[in-house]
Amino acid sequence: MVLAVLEVKELKKSFGKNNVLKGITFSLEKGEVLSVIGSSGSGKTTLLRCINSLEIPDSGQIFADGDTIFDSVSGKKLTKAEKRRNQLNVGLVFQQFNLFPQYNVLQNVTLAMKLQAKERPDYRENKKAILTAIEEKAEDYIAKVNLTDKLLSYPCELSGGQQQRVAIARALALEPKILFFDEPTSALDPELTIEVLKVIKNLKNMGRTMVVVTHEMEFAKNVSDKAIFMADGVIEEMGTPEDVFENPKSEKTRAFLSKSFE
Amino acid sequence: MKKTLSVVLAVLMALGCMFALASCGGNEETTAAPGGDTTAANEETTVAAVADVAEIQNKGKLVVGVTEYKPMDYLDENGEWTGFDAEYARAVAKELGVEVEFIEIEWDNKEFEVESKKIDCVWNGMTITDALKKSMDITDPYVKNAQVVVMPKDKAADYTTVESLKDLSFAVEVESAGKGVAEDNGFKYTELTYQSDAILEVHTGKADACIIDLTMADALTAEGATYENLTKVLSLNEEEYGIGCRKGSDLCTKINEITDKLLADGTLDALAEKYELTLVK
Amino acid sequence: MFWTVTLSLLEGFMTTLELFALTLLFAIPLGLIIAFGSMSKFFPLKWLSKTIVWIIRGTPLMLQLIVVFYGPELIGSWIGELGIDLPFFQWLAGMKGLDRFPSVLIAFVINYACYFSEIYRGGIESIPKGQYEACQVLGMTKTQTFFKVVLFQVIKRIVPPMGNEIITLVKDTSLARTIAVYEIIWNAQKFIKNGGLLWPLIYAGAFYLIFNGLLTIIFNKIEKKMDYYKN
Repeated sequence: MVLAVLEVKELKKSFGKNNVLKGITFSLEKGEVLSVIGSSGSGKTTLLRCINSLEIPDSGQIFADGDTIFDSVSGKKLTKAEKRRNQLNVGLVFQQFNLFPQYNVLQNVTLAMKLQAKERPDYRENKKAILTAIEEKAEDYIAKVNLTDKLLSYPCELSGGQQQRVAIARALALEPKILFFDEPTSALDPELTIEVLKVIKNLKNMGRTMVVVTHEMEFAKNVSDKAIFMADGVIEEMGTPEDVFENPKSEKTRAFLSKSFE
Repeated sequence: MKKTLSVVLAVLMALGCMFALASCGGNEETTAAPGGDTTAANEETTVAAVADVAEIQNKGKLVVGVTEYKPMDYLDENGEWTGFDAEYARAVAKELGVEVEFIEIEWDNKEFEVESKKIDCVWNGMTITDALKKSMDITDPYVKNAQVVVMPKDKAADYTTVESLKDLSFAVEVESAGKGVAEDNGFKYTELTYQSDAILEVHTGKADACIIDLTMADALTAEGATYENLTKVLSLNEEEYGIGCRKGSDLCTKINEITDKLLADGTLDALAEKYELTLVK
Repeated sequence: MFWTVTLSLLEGFMTTLELFALTLLFAIPLGLIIAFGSMSKFFPLKWLSKTIVWIIRGTPLMLQLIVVFYGPELIGSWIGELGIDLPFFQWLAGMKGLDRFPSVLIAFVINYACYFSEIYRGGIESIPKGQYEACQVLGMTKTQTFFKVVLFQVIKRIVPPMGNEIITLVKDTSLARTIAVYEIIWNAQKFIKNGGLLWPLIYAGAFYLIFNGLLTIIFNKIEKKMDYYKN
């Protein structure tokens, strides 16, 4: 059996009386790309936010790369250090990019790395070398999203698609085990969507483990190894893209897909 | 760590808040508490607490609150305080064996200044009124004063009786003796911060006339003075100057004692002549 | 005469400037502490901060000056009259207020810190949640988030209202004269009191005008400098 890099079991979350997640269970293996589809309000984004510790689930279990992110079964309380490590095990790309407006592209990518480097015991002695290494690494990732010529531009000078690519580079630079995308193209015009999806496709080819919440059905169908269709806080359908997109078993899935592919 | 910090901050802020509230509550008390002629009652309750003379001698200086008010207190060309009151205060201080420190105060806050011991007394041609007697102990009167009507010289001839003044607009100092007589006579008046503002109103034509202290009117409308175009036309009442001390302070009695001595040896007569004032004897 | 007036006004203006500069120096950081207090999740702290801000913003600065300067002695003497023979009460009875200038400074610092705190709070609360979330998923601590990401954006947002408040401060310093701190307006009014000279007061206005003109230029420069990006 292949060890799952992400395991979610019986995850529940409600906001007041609104049960957003009603027991979600799935797992993901290393190098796999998972697409999560479903109409708005089905709980996709909340699921991502729970895994990325932006929301605290009510109950259930989440394990990433063998580490506990949340576990209401054992009731394990995480230390601050463990929480931080979890945070770095997973990366998240937002729908609204959330770049830091006052920093240029390079600074946006290097900021978190530079702050982490300060905790290294040899930081003082090798400061110069460490910082240079960080900048080189950042430039590499910026090159991977094809923005080398925008290195010193500020977010307000970039198109939405370019901003989202910077956000991807920023998340990648921390080398997360799993990278999550929360509707990465929903805020973009169609022509800008393509460039972002191309970047994500490239990442798959490099063997990245990714979870993509998306409305781009063609993309989900062609790029992912696994697909989940969510409706009303439950997983309605799960399987290979062929299973989900070609031979959906559930009535809800069929209805949703026919509407989406119209 | 963060919790502790929060608690410490909270406690500090609570203390500050209590202090602020206590202070606010306190201020109401000053204005409300003393009522009527309570000098006697006050002496009974606070006699032991207020041994100001000993404290003044201890610190070696008598702190006198003044404003620039010719001819009672004003600065000479060297920037030294002079005038009838200034010299009088120095003479009293000499008897006490201390120096005088003059502090220029905001006249509106004189009661606060005295009550909070920021100054030992107000010595600044202060007209004795019933209201002031409630907030301070005031010495025996020492100089005679009057509230006089001051107006432009060219109009003065038409106004020789109180009756003739009825339709004029007056300027007076806020809550001053002048305001009191304006009210008594049923005049229309505007209140200003200082007597000097009141006379300025007349000078600039904002008011027809002002009611100010005789001593000040004389000093300011004399030949060659700032307002020589103005003149005093009528005296509306007679009154007297006194020195204001803290309620229940033994300084008040002490100044009275020394004043008797200065009257006996002619010191005050000489000062009165120098500054053209009339002593109360 | 012009020279005498100028010298006297300059002397007063030095006091004005000193009060202005020291108030800013202390009120700017104190305001941040109060702002954090009123945004705190620790209820008593939040309540206290909000109450203090309410009291200070809800009462005239002039009254606060009087309370700070005369208050301690007045309370002291009333407590003394109670004659309670306990060390704490004796200590209270012996309370001594500060000198005129320090009292004015304290009142101004507290007053302006409260106004600043509300500006800070508005600025901090206007930063989109996404900025904090982005920092969190990048593994940044709360302190790093505040100082490396949020603070600068807050500063950009609060520069215009702070400029306003600071210019008001310049003019508010003239209230110091109520407890006889001899600032520029006090000195100007002396010429009215003693010689009926009106123009020194108008002339004093020119000092304020020039100084506030300088401040306006400085604030415009700062705004320009931070204008390299848009939100």
